[in-house]
This record gives sequence, C-alpha cells and structure tokens, in this order.
Amino acid sequence: MKKIIKYIIAGLLIAPVITISSCKKDINEQNKINPNAFSDSEPALMITGAQLANVMANEGEAARLACIFAGHLTGYDRQFISYGLYSMNAGDFDGPWGTIYADGIAQCRLVKAKAIAANNKVLEGVAQITEANLLLTTSSLWGDIPNSEACNDNILTPKFDKMSDVYNYCISILEAAAANVGSSSAYSAAYSGSFTWKEVANTLIARAKLHKKDYAGAIAAASAGVSDGNDFNANHATASPGAWNLYYDFLDWNRAGYISCDGSYIVNMLDSGTSASKRDAKTDETARFDYYFLKDNYTPIDPNMYGGVFDAQADFPLCSYVENELILAECYARTSNDTSALQHLNNVRASHEANFGGYQAYDASDFATNSALILNILKEKYVSLFGQVEVYNDVRRTGNVIGVPANVGTVLPGRFLHPQSERNTNPNTPAAGTLFDKLELFQ
Amino acid sequence: MKQKLVLFTLAWMLSVLTAWSQTRIISGVVTDGKDPLIGATIVIKGSAGGASSDAEGKFSISIPEAGGTLVVRYLGMLVKEINVDATSSNISVVMEKDPLMLDEVRVTAIGEKRSMRKIGYSTSQIQGKAVASSGESGAIQGMSGKVSNLAITKNTGDPGAGAFIQIRGQSTITGNLQPLIVVDGVPVSNSTLGETTDGVVQQSRLNDLNPEDIASVEVLKGAAASAVWGTRASNGVIIVTTKKGKRSNKSNNMNVEISSSLGLDYVNREYTKQSTYGQGSAGKWAANVGGSWGDKIANRSGADTLNLAGAKFVAEDGSVYNTITKKGSKSVYNDANRDQVFRTGVTMNNNISISSGNEKSSIYFNVADWNQQGVLNGTSDYRRTSGRLNYSHNLNDKVKVSLNSVLSKVFSNRIQQGSNLDGLYLGYLRTSPDFDNTDYLGTYYTAGGVPTFNSHRGYRRYLGNAAPSYNNPGWTLNKQTNTSDVTRIILTPEVAWEWADKSILTVRTGYDISNDRRITYFPVLSAGSYANGGFTDDMIKQSELSFHAYNKNSFDVNSDISLNTTVGFLYTDRNFYNIGASASQFILRNQDRFAFINSTAENKAPFNSIENLENNRVYAIVDLDYQDKVFLQLTAASEAASTFKSRFTYPSATLAYEFTKDILKSDILSYGKLRASYGVVGVEPPAYIWSTNYVNSVAASGWGETLEGAQFGGSIYRSSTRGNPDIKPEQKTEYEIGTDLKLLNNKIGLSATYYSNKTTGAVLAVDVPASTGYTSKWDNAATITNTGFEAELNLKVIDNSKLIVNIFGNIGINRNMVDELTGDVKSIFLAGFTGTSSRAVKGYAMGTLWGGKWDRDAAGNMKLDANGFPMAAAEEGVLGDPNAKYRAGLGANASWNGLDVNILFETSQGGKMWGGTSGVLNYFGISPETANEVTLTAAQAATVKDYNGQTVDQIATANADGSYTVRGNLKNFGAGDVLLNQTWYQGLGGGFGAVAEDFVKDASWFRLRELSVNYKIPASILQKLKIPGASIGFTGRNLALWTDFVGVDPELNLTGTSNGRGLDYFTNPGTKSYIFSLKLNF
Repeated sequence: MKKIIKYIIAGLLIAPVITISSCKKDINEQNKINPNAFSDSEPALMITGAQLANVMANEGEAARLACIFAGHLTGYDRQFISYGLYSMNAGDFDGPWGTIYADGIAQCRLVKAKAIAANNKVLEGVAQITEANLLLTTSSLWGDIPNSEACNDNILTPKFDKMSDVYNYCISILEAAAANVGSSSAYSAAYSGSFTWKEVANTLIARAKLHKKDYAGAIAAASAGVSDGNDFNANHATASPGAWNLYYDFLDWNRAGYISCDGSYIVNMLDSGTSASKRDAKTDETARFDYYFLKDNYTPIDPNMYGGVFDAQADFPLCSYVENELILAECYARTSNDTSALQHLNNVRASHEANFGGYQAYDASDFATNSALILNILKEKYVSLFGQVEVYNDVRRTGNVIGVPANVGTVLPGRFLHPQSERNTNPNTPAAGTLFDKLELFQ
Repeated sequence: MKQKLVLFTLAWMLSVLTAWSQTRIISGVVTDGKDPLIGATIVIKGSAGGASSDAEGKFSISIPEAGGTLVVRYLGMLVKEINVDATSSNISVVMEKDPLMLDEVRVTAIGEKRSMRKIGYSTSQIQGKAVASSGESGAIQGMSGKVSNLAITKNTGDPGAGAFIQIRGQSTITGNLQPLIVVDGVPVSNSTLGETTDGVVQQSRLNDLNPEDIASVEVLKGAAASAVWGTRASNGVIIVTTKKGKRSNKSNNMNVEISSSLGLDYVNREYTKQSTYGQGSAGKWAANVGGSWGDKIANRSGADTLNLAGAKFVAEDGSVYNTITKKGSKSVYNDANRDQVFRTGVTMNNNISISSGNEKSSIYFNVADWNQQGVLNGTSDYRRTSGRLNYSHNLNDKVKVSLNSVLSKVFSNRIQQGSNLDGLYLGYLRTSPDFDNTDYLGTYYTAGGVPTFNSHRGYRRYLGNAAPSYNNPGWTLNKQTNTSDVTRIILTPEVAWEWADKSILTVRTGYDISNDRRITYFPVLSAGSYANGGFTDDMIKQSELSFHAYNKNSFDVNSDISLNTTVGFLYTDRNFYNIGASASQFILRNQDRFAFINSTAENKAPFNSIENLENNRVYAIVDLDYQDKVFLQLTAASEAASTFKSRFTYPSATLAYEFTKDILKSDILSYGKLRASYGVVGVEPPAYIWSTNYVNSVAASGWGETLEGAQFGGSIYRSSTRGNPDIKPEQKTEYEIGTDLKLLNNKIGLSATYYSNKTTGAVLAVDVPASTGYTSKWDNAATITNTGFEAELNLKVIDNSKLIVNIFGNIGINRNMVDELTGDVKSIFLAGFTGTSSRAVKGYAMGTLWGGKWDRDAAGNMKLDANGFPMAAAEEGVLGDPNAKYRAGLGANASWNGLDVNILFETSQGGKMWGGTSGVLNYFGISPETANEVTLTAAQAATVKDYNGQTVDQIATANADGSYTVRGNLKNFGAGDVLLNQTWYQGLGGGFGAVAEDFVKDASWFRLRELSVNYKIPASILQKLKIPGASIGFTGRNLALWTDFVGVDPELNLTGTSNGRGLDYFTNPGTKSYIFSLKLNF
C-alpha cells in the first residue's frame, strides 16, 4: 500500500511537467512557417526567375554544348576535351534540364495561372512566350520531351511528347500570346533591347515553323517578327557575378581555358585564306573576326571575352532582327522567291555593314543557282548567330549542307542525350539511343 | 616511547570525542593486497554517508560507537563487508579481485549507472584515460579502433578537423547522420556545419570537449539501449561522463595534476609526382598550360633563353623571373615544391587539474590549452583553451546538488582544399615538375616597366601578369584567410532528491551555447572567381536548452523479484542562427581588410537563416530482476516535436539471462549471459519542410555560371524542392541477440552480438523528374537495412604480481542495403561531383559510388572503337561500395613495474574509394605512370595507334636503330596493343573523361593506430626531487599504414561528415603523430 502511494506521488510530481508542456502553445506552430522563405509570391516577381532560366537555357550550358557540336567552339581542357570528341554520357546533360523545367517552364505555368486569375493578359502572354521559348529550345536539342504532363503537381512521372507535338503546342501558345500582349514590352527585367513581345512571339513562331519546314508559315510569322533595331536580348548590363554575360562567366570567370575557338569551323569560315573562308569580293570579315575572337589569351583563339561578342556586359541575342531576316531569306529562297530572299539577305548585310563595315549588297548575279543562294544564307546565319543554339539546329535541319566537319568520325552529334537525372526517376524516359541519332524534325 | 605517548594521547582524545557524539572516527587503508586502491567507496551498512579512499588507499569514516558493518566497493573487486566492533579503530581492508569483473558499472542512456551484469543490450565502454592518451584533439577520434562497429572517419589531417562517426552502418540518408552525444546527462551539439566538395575542413563541435576531462565514454549501439532518446537516437548514443572530484589524503585535501605534452605531426601519405617531363603539351614546352605533357627535361639545352627586355616578375626577396623565350633549364623542383607545402606540425597540450572532495562535496577543476600548428606550412592551426568546473554537494542525506560547467575558446586557421582553384592540393599537385613555386608573391612589370604590386605568380601564370588559373600553394597557405573563432559554454545544473525511501527525483537542466565567427577571405588575384577578391563574414550561433526530470524508484516485490522503475520527462529546445554577408570585386586592391566597405553595393550580399527545433518526451523504464539472474527491462517513450505532427511512441525491451547460475557453469565457463533486445528509435524530419518555399530565383549551372534574380530587380519564385505536409519521423526498428562470456576463471572475456535493423520512411529530398517542375521532393522515401555482427574479446595472457599482459580485439561486420526508394527513383545524389558521386542506389549499400562506365556488350566485354580503345557507356551506373566489409581492432597492453605499454592495430577491409586525385593527375601528366616510356620496333610503331588514331611512327621520330621510343604505356583492351599517351589520358582515360570506373579503387587499410608507452617514475627517485608523483609517456599515432590506395590515407573523405562516402579529390592529407608527455602530481 505504501508503495502504491509512493507511485501516486511520483506520478503527481511528473504530471504537472507534462501538463505544462502539453498546455503550451501548439508545438508544431513554429514549424508551419519557414522563417527563411516565403509561402507564395507575386507573378510579376516570379516571371523574372523563369526568364533567367530561359536565358540560361539559350546562352548557358546547353548553348555551349550545342555550339561545340556545331563547330563554333572547341573543347580545349578537362571534360570539354571529351565533349569535343563527342565522348559523353547521359549524366553530362543533367545540368540544363533541371534549370529548364524547374526554374523555367514550371514557373511560367504558375505565372500563367496567376495572370489568368488576375485577368492580366499581358503577363499571361509573356509567360506563354517564355514557356514556348524554353520548350522550343529544349525540344530542338532533345527531341521528344515532357510537355502535356509536365509541371503538373498531380503527375509524378510525366510522359514524353513527340517533338512535333511539342512544336505544335508552342506555336499555338505563341499565337495566343501574340494576341494577349498587344504592343507591350512589360515584364522584361531579364531582357534588354527595345523589343515588343508581339514581334518576339512571331519570330519564335517563324523559327518553329522553319524547323518544321513550313516555309510559307515561317514567312507569314517572320513578316511580323523582330524588326530592325528591336532585338530581344538577355540583359547583362550589370558588371557583377550573377548578372553578367554567361559565356564570359564561363570563359573567363569560372572555367578559363576549358573552351576555345581554336580549330573551330567558324574561325575557318571568317578568317581569310582558310579552306572554308566565306570572305568574297563583297565581304570583308576582318572587323567581325576581331569582334568575335581574341588571339593568344587562354588558348590560341578564344571567343572575344574582353570588349567583344562575349564581353562581361555584352547583351546576348535571343531573337534578333538578323535571325528573323535570315529566316525570311531562307524561306523565300526555298519557296523559289530568290528576289525576296536576296533582299532579306542584303538587309542582314546592311545591318552588319552598319555594325562592322565590310559588307556590300549582293546582286542576283552573285548567285548562279538557288542552292548557291541558300548556301550563302545558311553560312551567313551560321556566323551571325555566334554562340546560339539555333546554329546547331540549322546544321542538323539542313543535313549539314554548309559542311561543318566532325571532330571525330564523319557525323556530327544529332541530339542531346536524355539526362541521367530524368532517366533515374522517370520510367517514361525514352530508350537511351546514341548521341548520333537524328531527331524527328531533323531527319 | 615518545610515539607511544602521542598515540595514547590521541586515542584518549578520540575516545572522549566519540563518547560525546555517540559516534567515533575510525580510519583504515584499502589495498589489493599489494598496492593501495584509490577511490574505493566505504559506507556503513544501513546508514547514509560514506567515504572514499585516497591516493594512498587511506580513508576515515565516522561509525556508531557500538560499531557496524563497513561495505567497501571497488570497481572490478568483490564487494567486501567488514564487521567493526566497538574497539576497532584501524582497519585494513584487503580487496579481492572479482574473478568475473561482474561489478563493472555501465552508464545508461539517461546517465544512470547500472551493473554490466544486468544489461541486455550491446554496449562498449572506453575509459577516459584511453581517449586522452590517444593524442587526438577530439575526444571521439581517440576512440578509433577501440570499439566494434564504431567507424570513425577523419575528414582530413587538418588540425581540429571533424570526424564522421558511424555506429553499425548508416541508417538514415539526410537526417542527422551522427550519433547523439550526451555529456553528463544532457545532449550537446556535435554538429559539423558547412562540409562541401570545396572550401575548408570544418570542425566538429564535439572537438570543443577536452579529452582530459573525460572519465569514461559509453557507446550505446542499438535501438533498445537508447529508445528513451526517441527521434535523436537512430544513429546510436554516445554517453560521455566527465571527471568528478575525489578526496585527497593530503593535509590540504587537494590533488593537483599538471600534464604537458608535445606532439609532432607529419603527413602520412603523399602523392608521387613524375620528374621526367616538363610543362607543356604534345611533347613541347609551353608556359602557363595546365599539363605536364611537354618535352623531356633531360634532353634540354641546360639554360633558359630569356627576353630581358620583356615583361618580368620580381619576387619579394628580389628574385627576378624574366620572360622565357625558350625553355632550356634542366632543373626539377618537385622537392622544393613539396617543402613549400609541408612542415612538421607541432602541438603543445597543457593541462592543470585540481581534484578535491570530502563526504559532502567534490570538486574537479581543469584548465587546458591545446595549441596545434598543422602539417600544412602556412596558416593552419588550432588552439583550444578550456576551463571546466564540476562541483557536487550533498546538502544533507537526501539532497545532492551538482553543477558541471565548461567554457571553451577555439580559434583556428584553415587551408582551402578540394575541388577548388584556390585550394592547396589542386595547385600543388598539378604544378609541373620543372616549375619552381617558391616565389608566389611579388611585382609584375610589363615590358614597358609598369608595375602591378602584390602580384600572384603560379605555374599557370609564371610572370604573375594576372591571376593564375590555380593558386600557387604559397598563396593558398599564406595569403588567404579562413578563420573560425568559437566560444562554447555548457552548463549542467542538477539536483537529486531522495524524497522517499528508495525513491529519487532527479532534475537536470542543460544549456549548451556556441558562437562561431568564420572569416573566408581571398585577396585580389586569387585564382578563379576570386580574381578581384572575395570575402565572407559568417556568424553561427547554436544553442540547446534541455530540461530533464525523472523519478527513480526501487523496491523488492518478494525475495525473488525486485523492481526498479523510472518515469521521466525530457524537453529540448534547439536554436540555430546564422548571419553574415559576402562581398566581392574589391575596389581597393592592395590592402587586406575584413571589411565590407571594399565593395560596391551590387557586389555585397547579406544572408541570414534561423532554425528552431523543439521536442518533448515522456518515458517510463521498468527494470525487473528475477533471482538476480534474469533481468528484464521495458521502456516506452512518447515524443512530440515541432517537426512532425502526431506524437510517436518508441518501445523497447531487453532481456538478460545469466544462465551460468542455472547450468553450464564449469572451470572453463565461469560466467555466461545471454541477452536479447528489441527497440524502436527514430530520426526527426528537418525543420520547415511541410510546404514548398518561395525563394530568391537563381539559375545556375554546375560549371559556375549564375544568374541571380536579385541582380535583375529582384525575383522570388517557387523553390525546386517540393514540400510535404505529411512527413513523419523516420523509424528504425532493431533487434539484437548476444552473449557475454567469461572463460577460464576470467582469463578470457568474450562478448558477441548479432543485430539487424531496418529504417523505414527515411526522410530525404528525393530526386524527382525535373519535368514535374521540381527537382526534388521531401518524402519518407527510403527503407534501409543494416545487418551485422560484432564481437569484443579480452584475453589475460599473464596476470601476476609483477606483470600483466592483456590482449584485446574487436571486429565489426555490417551489411548495409538501400532496400527501397520511393516511386521510380533509381538513385539519389548524396555528395560528390556531377561525374562521380556517392549515392543512395536501390539494391546497393548507402553511399554507393556512381559514375560513368565503360560501354560493354551483353557478355560484359568492353566495346572497342576502331582504334582498339574502349568507349563510354551512354548511361552512368554503380562503381563500387565505399563501406568496409569489416573493421577490426587488435591490441595489447602490458604493465610491469610502473611501465605501461599499449599497442593497437586497426583495419578496415573491403571498402572502395574514388581516387579522383589520381585520375586527374593522369590527365595532367603528373602521375608517374604517365611518364613511362616504351620502345617499339619499326613494325610495331607502324601499327600501334594512340587514342587519336595516329600510329606511333606518325607521332615520334625513330631512334638510330630504327626503333621508336615514345612517352606512354602499351595496353591491350582486347583488340591488340594500343598506346596510352596524352590523347588518352586527356580524353577518356583521365580523370576528366566520362568514365570514372577505373579510378574507383580498393580502399582497404591496415594501420598501427596507436603505440603508447608510459612510465611511472618510482617513488625512490621522486622523493629526491620532492615530487609526489610523476610519469612520462610517449604515444605514436598512425605510425604505420599499409594500403594499396595511392597518394592519400583512404581513411579520409572529401565531404567530411556529410552522407557521401568514399571520395578523394585534392583532399588535404592525413597525419601521423609522435607525442611526448610528462605528468606531475602534487
């Protein structure tokens, strides 16, 4: 009995302590809100993040790899030597993929929903354009990619859509966007240039239709595309890590000497007296060569990262007047309207003449055949879009008609491998295949 | 005669005194028959109060006038009861050794003592002496090799470096991976914050404890032993008990011990660098390039051709380096460059401790200073100054109060390491053999004479005209600053009140607070992204408040059954706060200040973060002893925490049966116990993971280029990690069975345990397909199992009055397996690089190494390209298991006439490690194998191709006899010999190629972990010196290492205490130490 009383007393002693603790405020309360982050955001703040992902996709790692495959850049050191020899595995493509989807497409779709809820048409359109820009670049590199089931909180393993379906989706949302944005150029913190969203949407449609070999459709869109002086650029005006040109960031700031232009086809094309030089009686590439390249820096020929094309504060073109005109030129030529084709090619040469000097207008007599004209247009596009993913798309889409030599073997890589990170987690990822497989639209 | 008179007078006085109080004082001495026993406890049966024996074994105690029964206890000795009659006044107690050592006292999870006999789970104890004598600055590192299935992996040999502690394998993925450390009953922080693949080696907060203060360490391995600690016990619990004061026999009742030691540290493993070929590429010298694929140094003309009118570098000491137009020097600087980097590390360790006590109080005081200069020849040091005061006082028979307190001040300088252009080993090991790193600081002059002061010269910029691609090691060691300045206070007040007969209420509070100010500073012209300087000032504050109350009760149900019960409540509140800022692009380039005024507004970035974790736990423990041979313990803990939503209950049960009380007892088997236990513990989820966060937008690549929303007018968007409101604590369920045996009259002690545990619902941010819009999601995502066996053996080879020789050994075998990963996830990145990483892979052990593999056909043969070289597989895969198949320790100690000798060997067998450094040194043409030469006949030279497909006769010129000698190695991958040369090593065959398979190597090791000799100087000598006691000692640590792993001690790990294992990539080296000590007692 005495013992029992003792236990009761012991219990009584402990009980108040337990009671105090359980009567205390909800112990979970402090864990409900993360003091170091927010629970939601404003769409206007979110879209900037998505746009930076878009810049990263088109100017960063994916663009570098595309340009190594397309002969713009050469792998000079470390892993890039292997990349230059096309010796790559799926893990080498993990990086850009996560940025594109998590930082880019997902945010665009969240912004779109918030914009629709707020009946903000312009922001809806801007989100559509950013999303389409990301999806088009991604599909052009990887082919089949998740789209219809992507970035949906209820779908844990999105299926892969056919490349052509992704393109059609992009064209449809770009057309909707062109209607939504009016004449606005708002929500463009990540960008520079006096572009309007509508023109950007149209150039992107033209680019997509060009890939699909819908030349008439591309002409229609490009005719309302980016106009002279109104390029759509990534903004790198601030001289600070985290803001400056991504090529500069890689070439000088983070990975000096890894990538070069030494032995690249673009140097061969722009230099004088070389086997592939595109200089001719009306074309002097000297000034552009110096703007593009820097001799005896980290490597014998680096991309010009000091004051040139990839200066720390050089804006990077995402959709340019030059590209738009060259789409028109090519599509007119391919639809046998050489006169219009020449006119648009000369528009580009006039633009270069203003920027660099050394370009006289071509006459019809400069081209013996339609295919000579097309070849000249493609060569001009190849050198004009230095560092851009579109160069690699053109090379594949045209069956490498301009003759970029392979670094090993005879064939250029036809695609990016689906990333190991996606393969590890998503059983819908298509079978591995090889780097040299051709994509649906680029057969 | 005179003496007798004095004694008689004393005795008379005593008798008068005792008559007065009805008690009297008797005195005595406790010995083992030969030597005095210090610290034996003496109590009067049936009364409170007691005494303990002093350094000479003497004691005095008050006893009722009529006499009574003295109960004398001493660890490892049989309890002795002595009847004292009314006349006895001077007692001589001779204790007898307990042949079974059964009274070994162990410390339980809540800090209570319990007889080893009654324990039904596996536990290992290490005496503080063994920890302190190891010569390690950290208490835990000193336990290496002494306990089965306790793996301790030092991060690097840097002074004060933390260590990864793993008990019975890894049972969680991202939660706290380390065991809970409980010091004097309260949990303390053992965090190591900020371990990555680059940066500096961080300290473990556990190293703030002075090993000299430790009385014993108890390692509770299984779930059943530690269930009362609930969600913090999943990785085991290490119970540290600090020293208490003891009564002294001296007139001033004070024992003073002064100890000093001098430690000398040396690098224990180094890479060998080739010295045959110079800097350059394709067999030609070239300045500033990374590789050493240049010309053969021996074939050079003998002197450099210089352009004296060109640009130049003038070093601080006036040495001039002119522009080289043609390399001719035959000098090789591997030794000089090595000597620039390493030195003999020197450690001074001084301790003064004072111990005192009486029947009512005890006090232990220690001040200590550990002052270590590391083996890296620059700002690499660690200084810990600590003071401890442990005090306890019996207010009366029933109430005892105590306060343990410790204050530590730790200051250290660290050296940048790892995958880091500003790291030590990266710049040092890649340096070409024909480049002299000695002069790293000076003035660069253009050809026109324009100076740039404080210029940085390295092998990638030999004139210092701009920041080199990699730091000169001299710059890394001396110009960069990486300090950590820690203040730590732990206070543990406690009161124990015996408020009813055999019912004691203990209330214990603990407060552990530390501040760590870290400075990371790269001066202008440091390599990589710090060319314009970089600076971070970071303040980390951690605290843990704990409140623990428990009531212990014991009573006998009947003569067969006795019952002990404990009911307790435990509350802990942990807070973490970090504030700091980074700055870059310094505007004033020539002065170093740790001040933010030296950057423009857009180049400053402040940061802060806080975390608060609260837990409360109630628990009950019931101990049931049956006939003093069957011992059953049942516990239940119920826990609520801020990080999970519903209360969780953790049950455990242990059973011990001393079967030799019933059967099998013989001359051979003197004692036998079987034990079995079952328990559940957990790991709490991380804080703030219930919802998806919205954070600053950042788009970044693995190569470093970054776009930050903050630079574009600000952007806050959805994080790529998805939250999970339904997260639960991880649960680890474990059972074990084991036995403790004593054989041949205690000559052999053997303990063996088999265990199996399963962690379900391991919490981690599991990779999800990026196409879902997230890259990871918090989830209870994995099931991990560990199954293993552990055994400890103690063998008394010789035990006589003169010589004692013991041999002891332990072995731990653990098999770890990631059984399930949620959904379709194949593997989860834990640590490492995009190329090679340590991962959780379904169906493989935790930490499995993962990376690029050779492309193979269905039969497993390598697919070869047209030139006969293997190719990279399109997919990455498993490369090896970094976990050891078994670890074992084997040691011996011997004592003879005051001379103690200890020796300990330790081995780890079967684990793999990624030799990232070796692979990359192949790439750079630094590894000796890359400097081999082969001679081929003209016929062979016409057919053997290199990786680019060129035949040897196309790339080399013929010798006089028509044969060809060429740098490289011949190898046959299956299609005939091919030449491995620069094209191969810089392509697929080197550390930057897509295939890591060949660089994952066996990392088994065997080492002489410890060798110590202590000599107690005989009293005959000391008396002349008027010193009461003194001993001298020597400890050698890591004196010998046998391993096939090249270049670095495979015990180290680049990513430190993170969950990624088995990675080596320009990790700072490990050390071996020689420690000389002197101990004086006053």
